[in-house]
Amino acid sequence: MLNIDGVSYRYRDATTPSLQNVSLNIPPAGVYGLLGPNGAGKTTLISVLAGLLTVTDGLITLDGIPLAEVRSKNPRAFALVPQDYAFYPMLTVAENLRFFGGVLGLGGTELKSQSESAIAFARLEQVVGKRAEQLSGGLRRRLNLAIGLLGKPQLLLLDEPTVGVDPQSRHFLLDSIAALPAAGTTVIYTSHYMEEIEAICQKIAIVDQGQVLAEGTLSDILRSPEPLLEIGLEQQLPVGIAQRYSATHIGEQKYRLILPSTATLQNLLDELASAGCSVRNLSLGQHDLEQVFMRFTNRSLRD
Amino acid sequence: MSPRLLALWLKETIALTRDKHGLLALFIMPTIFILVMTMALRDAFTPGVTIDVSYSVVDLDQTPISKALVKRLNRVAAFKKIEGDNDLGSARNQLLQGKQSLVLVLPKEFGNRLLTPGGTDGKPAEPLSLLIDPALSPTLQLAFRNQVMAALGAVRADELTVKAGKLFGLPVAPGATLEKDWPDEIHSEAVRGNTNAKIPSSVQQNVPAWLIFAMFFVVIPVSSIFIIERQQGTLQRLRAMGVPFHLVLAGKLLPFFIVNQVQAALMVLVGMYLVPQFGSEALELPSSLPLLLNWWAVSSTVSLAAVSWALLIASIAKTSEQATIVGGVGNILMGAVGGIMVPKFIMPASMQKIAALSPMAWGLEGFHTVMLRHGSFADILPSLTQLLVFAVASLLAAIWLNQRALAAQS
Repeated sequence: MLNIDGVSYRYRDATTPSLQNVSLNIPPAGVYGLLGPNGAGKTTLISVLAGLLTVTDGLITLDGIPLAEVRSKNPRAFALVPQDYAFYPMLTVAENLRFFGGVLGLGGTELKSQSESAIAFARLEQVVGKRAEQLSGGLRRRLNLAIGLLGKPQLLLLDEPTVGVDPQSRHFLLDSIAALPAAGTTVIYTSHYMEEIEAICQKIAIVDQGQVLAEGTLSDILRSPEPLLEIGLEQQLPVGIAQRYSATHIGEQKYRLILPSTATLQNLLDELASAGCSVRNLSLGQHDLEQVFMRFTNRSLRD
Repeated sequence: MSPRLLALWLKETIALTRDKHGLLALFIMPTIFILVMTMALRDAFTPGVTIDVSYSVVDLDQTPISKALVKRLNRVAAFKKIEGDNDLGSARNQLLQGKQSLVLVLPKEFGNRLLTPGGTDGKPAEPLSLLIDPALSPTLQLAFRNQVMAALGAVRADELTVKAGKLFGLPVAPGATLEKDWPDEIHSEAVRGNTNAKIPSSVQQNVPAWLIFAMFFVVIPVSSIFIIERQQGTLQRLRAMGVPFHLVLAGKLLPFFIVNQVQAALMVLVGMYLVPQFGSEALELPSSLPLLLNWWAVSSTVSLAAVSWALLIASIAKTSEQATIVGGVGNILMGAVGGIMVPKFIMPASMQKIAALSPMAWGLEGFHTVMLRHGSFADILPSLTQLLVFAVASLLAAIWLNQRALAAQS
């Protein structure tokens, strides 16, 4: 279990901290999603976990052992797959894997077998002899991931690993990542694509402005105490009602409202009747991650 | 041997071999420079060679003494003599038409008045005239004047000797006339260690000079790979893998050091075998093992200085373009003031003082000490020390800049 307890981080010269009292419990052998818009603090948290940034407040432990100690005992315990294509474009796929394996201290048959496993996992067999600069965007992402698998890390940090790839490659990457926990690897996956998080993460944290807004399983987070109501009216929704129920306009005289509880539905209908609004149709629905995020932040993930 | 360092060396070597432009700059450029500059500066390093500036003499005196002066000037002058029709008007026309640059006019009575100071016989001294093409460099004008003065002095001394001999009734040796052949008065010898040797040729000056220049051009491939690493987040990934920055730098030092040594071997071969094909002398390396080791010591420290400088530039530059401009212009400036492009001895004294600040000048001094003076290890030690201090300072500055950049991020 990876425990992040009260971690804060502020970049030099920044007016606000990038991480504010972040506390998370990340279970082993699963895919943990960090969801948030650009600038939410996801990459900062990943950089802290990768040892690239040192926190002044808070404590991070893996199975009760401080992170720095884990890293010094076993440098291969953590692997970072950055957003960038962090490899050598002039080297071939095989040469890149050999180099990064060598840097991790792998050699001989161990290096050979782990390189082969990584190539097979990322399905790079057809391009092992090709220079990285000649690969398509999707294949580069796969190589980036394959390098991260060298050394069989206990914790794999994936920072937006599908940015800029075609849908086919994205599906392949997501399927591959989802399969990693089967081998005992814990994956921390950052994205601002909610559909990716929904597809592969067992546990999620919603992050914005350096704070954790919600943490739990996907169903926990989607299960909201505040029911969602979609309603179609014959007239415009009066402004006062719209404000009280955090309404969003979703179509022609169609609105999505958040009810404080199911018991308040009758109150709403009474209010609409008093305002002279006739209801065409209504349905109670479940939030999706986008809506949950909007509920917490009043803004979209894509903002 | 650390497997991590080995992996870094191997990666750097493969990356370098795939950088065609970088390799071209490292090997082809100095070869061309050595060939072109050796040809261009061949005469500047050959004492007694005729300068491509022509002169003629209008001898209005036509005495044995004036003829002796003409003959003597012809022998010692480094300028090209043109046989004219001994007519002042036509000589002036030749000068105006640019067919010759200098005309020396010997006046009538020149021979008779050679040993008579002006005014002693009631007549003023009539000077020799020198007609000059106004486009001729003042340095060459002065050189010709000095040669005329020297020839004149020698002819006057001979005439005095003959007259004194007659005065004191001394026998005059057969053939001791004013028109006898004269041996070269000055024989030049370059001093090397405990022995003397002939003056170095332009190839011996140019090969080390352009080798140093080429070694410093590792800045192009070093920075190109380094900036890719930084821009693509590879350095960050390596840091996350626990690779310290100084190990990354060490991973670059050896491959580029080897490249520099290959450059050195290649440029020596160019000097020894290719340059003679173009009509110049072949490069001579010292033949004794201690001198060869000294040569290699200079080559090695120049390389360390060059690679460290390249790593510093790569740490400062944000883009490959910046590195090419800063590194390229920096190298050209170091070469220009350091006696690479223009030999130091041609520079005025003030520029020679500035040249002493260039690492390329330290390297060139080291090579010249070994190759031209056959100096000992103690003789090259000052150059080696300067270069090593420069290398260490550059590396420390690169590490400090990296730490500062990380601190700024965090």
